[in-house]
Amino acid sequence: MDCCSQKGNVLSRFFKRKQDNSFSHQNCNTRKKLVLVGTPNVGKSVIFNRLTGAYVTVSNYPGTTVEIFRGTGRIGGEIFEIIDTPGMYSLMPITEEERVTRTLLFNENFDIVVHVVDAKNIERMLSMTMQLKEAGLPVMLVVNMMDEAERLGRKIDLDRLSALLDIPVVGTSAALNRGMDQMRRKVAEYVKKRVA
Amino acid sequence: MSKNELLEHNVHPFKYHDDIEKALEEIEKLLKSNYKVSKRSVALLLLQDDEEITELVRSRENSFPEIQEVINRTRKKFSEPLHFVITMQRQKKVDEIVSQVVKAGDRSRSSIGSWLDRITVQPVTGIPILLLVLYFGLYKFVGEFGAGTLVDFIEGNIFENYINPWVNSAVQAYIPNRAVQELLAMEYGIITLGIRYAVAIILPIVGTFFLMFSVIEDSGYLPRLALLVDRVFKSMGLNGRAVIPMTLGFGCDTMATLVSRTLETRRERVIATLLLALAIPCSAQLGVILGLLSGRPAALAIWATFVVLVFLLVGYLAAQVLPGERPVFYMEIPPLRLPRLGNIIEKTVSRMQWYFLEIVPIFIITSVLIWIGRMTGIFDALIRATEPLMQALGLPPETAQAFLFGFFRRDYGAAGLYDLQKSGILNGAQMLVASVTLTLFVPCIAQFTVMLKERGVKTTLAIVAFVFPFAFLAGYILNLILKLAGVVL
Repeated sequence: MDCCSQKGNVLSRFFKRKQDNSFSHQNCNTRKKLVLVGTPNVGKSVIFNRLTGAYVTVSNYPGTTVEIFRGTGRIGGEIFEIIDTPGMYSLMPITEEERVTRTLLFNENFDIVVHVVDAKNIERMLSMTMQLKEAGLPVMLVVNMMDEAERLGRKIDLDRLSALLDIPVVGTSAALNRGMDQMRRKVAEYVKKRVA
Repeated sequence: MSKNELLEHNVHPFKYHDDIEKALEEIEKLLKSNYKVSKRSVALLLLQDDEEITELVRSRENSFPEIQEVINRTRKKFSEPLHFVITMQRQKKVDEIVSQVVKAGDRSRSSIGSWLDRITVQPVTGIPILLLVLYFGLYKFVGEFGAGTLVDFIEGNIFENYINPWVNSAVQAYIPNRAVQELLAMEYGIITLGIRYAVAIILPIVGTFFLMFSVIEDSGYLPRLALLVDRVFKSMGLNGRAVIPMTLGFGCDTMATLVSRTLETRRERVIATLLLALAIPCSAQLGVILGLLSGRPAALAIWATFVVLVFLLVGYLAAQVLPGERPVFYMEIPPLRLPRLGNIIEKTVSRMQWYFLEIVPIFIITSVLIWIGRMTGIFDALIRATEPLMQALGLPPETAQAFLFGFFRRDYGAAGLYDLQKSGILNGAQMLVASVTLTLFVPCIAQFTVMLKERGVKTTLAIVAFVFPFAFLAGYILNLILKLAGVVL
C-alpha cells in the first residue's frame, strides 16, 4: 500500500508534522495505532521521533507539544500509526493542551496506549497509569530517562513494577537511543497478544 | 472478545473506599450507552464533577437524574470533595507500589548542578544572569552577528553586487514589457524585494535567533526564568508559566499565540495573546531593530525601556480590566541539561525550514500586491493617505511604506525599515520612533489568523482595535517627549 509507506517525500513529511488530520487515507484502516501519552517534558516527542524517523520539536521545558502529531513507523514487521500528544497530568484536564489529549483518547480506538513517565519522578506519574487502566485502555508503561535516575543512584525494579501493575513495563533512555529496541519488541508482543 | 468486553475487562487496578466502590457500581449499572472508555472510568469522572463528561452523560442517558442522585448521596458521605478523596486514595496505592519497586538514590544532584539551579532562580544572581544571557545571546549574537555581520555580507555583498544587478539586467534584456520587468525586478520586484528580504535579511536573523534559542530551550533555563519572573507576571494577571509563550514570541508571535494554550485560564490566555500582539517583537523584527539601533546605544536603550514599560503597563491594566482569579504557579522544573548538539542543529534547521517555507510565499504575494498597487496607483494613494499620520509621528512620508509592509508581516515591515536606514532617510530620533511604533504595531496576518482560531472573532477584533491606535499614540507621545527634551540621537 502506497499510502502506508514509511517515507513520504520531504514535503509531505513536513506537512504531516504540522497538521493533525492530514492522515485520512481510506485504505489504511487496518493500520495499528499507537498513542504516546504522559506528563509534560518526559520525552514523548523524543520517542515519537525515534519510532517514526520524523522530527517534531524537542526541548527541555514542559509544553513544547501543544498539538497532536501523527507519523508512521515499523514495529515488529508491522506499520503503526504513531501519535504524539500534548502532555497531561491526569484524565481530568485543567489546561487546553490537556483537553486536546483527553478528547483524542476518548474518541479514537488505539491498539496500544504508551504511557511515558520520568524515572526520576515516577511516584508522581503512576497515578495516571492507574487512570488509563481504569479506563480500560490497552496501556503499556515506558519508564524513560533511566540514565538520569541511575545517576541519582535511584534503582527501579521494572519486573516487579510490571507484575504489580499487571501491564508491560520497559525502561528507556530515549535521548541516548537506549532501550528502544526492547520497547519495540514489547509493543509488538502486546499488540499481538491482544488480538489473539 | 468483542471490543466492549475488552474495554470492561481488567479495569480494577485497585479498590477505592467502599462507599465509592458502591457508588461506582450503581452508576455503572445506570450507564447504558457505549463510551470509548470503560464505564468505571466514566463513573469515576462523574463522581469527580468533570464538566465535559457530565455534559456527555447528561445528553446520552435517560437515567441521568438517578446518576446525579447517586453522586449527591456519595458526596455527603465525605467531608472533602470527591475529587480530592479519589486522588488521595489513588496516590496512596501508587505510593504503596513505589515503595516496593523504587530504591531512592542517596546521591543528590551534582554540586555544580544544584549551584547553577540556585543562582538562576534567586533574584540577586538571577537578574544579572538574565542580563548576561540577553546581552550575549540576543545583542551580541543575534543583533551584531546575525543582523549585522551576516546581513551585511549576504545583503550588501551578494545581493547588491551580484544578484540584483544581474537580475535587473537579465530582465531588461529579455523582457520588453516594463510592467513585467517591475514585477520581477527593480525596486519592488519579486526577486529584488520579496526574495531579497526573505533570504538576505530575515533568514540570517531568524537563523541565529533559533540557534541561540534552541540552546536556551534545551538547557532547561526557561522554567527557571519562569520562577524568577513569577512575581512580576502575577501583577499582570499571569503567572510564571506564561514566560514560555512570551519568550517563544521573540521567535515568532504566531507560534507563541498557539503555545498560549498551555495557560490555565481563559483570562490568562487573552492577556498573553494581547501582550504578544502588542509588545513582543518577533525575532526578525527584533534582529533588524537591534541591528539598526546598535550604532546608537542610547536609542536602543530608550527603545527597550519604552517597550518594556508598555508591556508592563498594558499587562497591569489588562489584569485590572479583565475579571478573574490570580492563577497559582505550578510548573515542572526539569533538570539543567547540557544541550545536545544533534538536537540543537536538527531543531534550528527544522525551524528555519518551517519559517522559510512559511514566509517565502507571503513575501512573494506581498510583492505582487505592491506591484498591483503601484500599477493602479493605490499604493501611492495609501502612502499619501498615511502622510499626516507619519507627520504626526515626526517621520518622513517614505516610512509609510514600511508600515504598509508590516501590515502583511511583522518581519517584512522591519526589513522595510532596514532599507530606509540604508538610504539615510531617517535620523536617530526618527529611527527610534519608527522602531517603537512598528514594534507595537498590528500583529501580522499569520498571527491574526491564529488569534482568530484560538481566541475567537470578538476577542481578536477587540485586541486589534486596541493595538492599532495604541501603537501610533505611543509613537506620537515618544516623539513629543523626544522633541520637548531636545534629544538628539
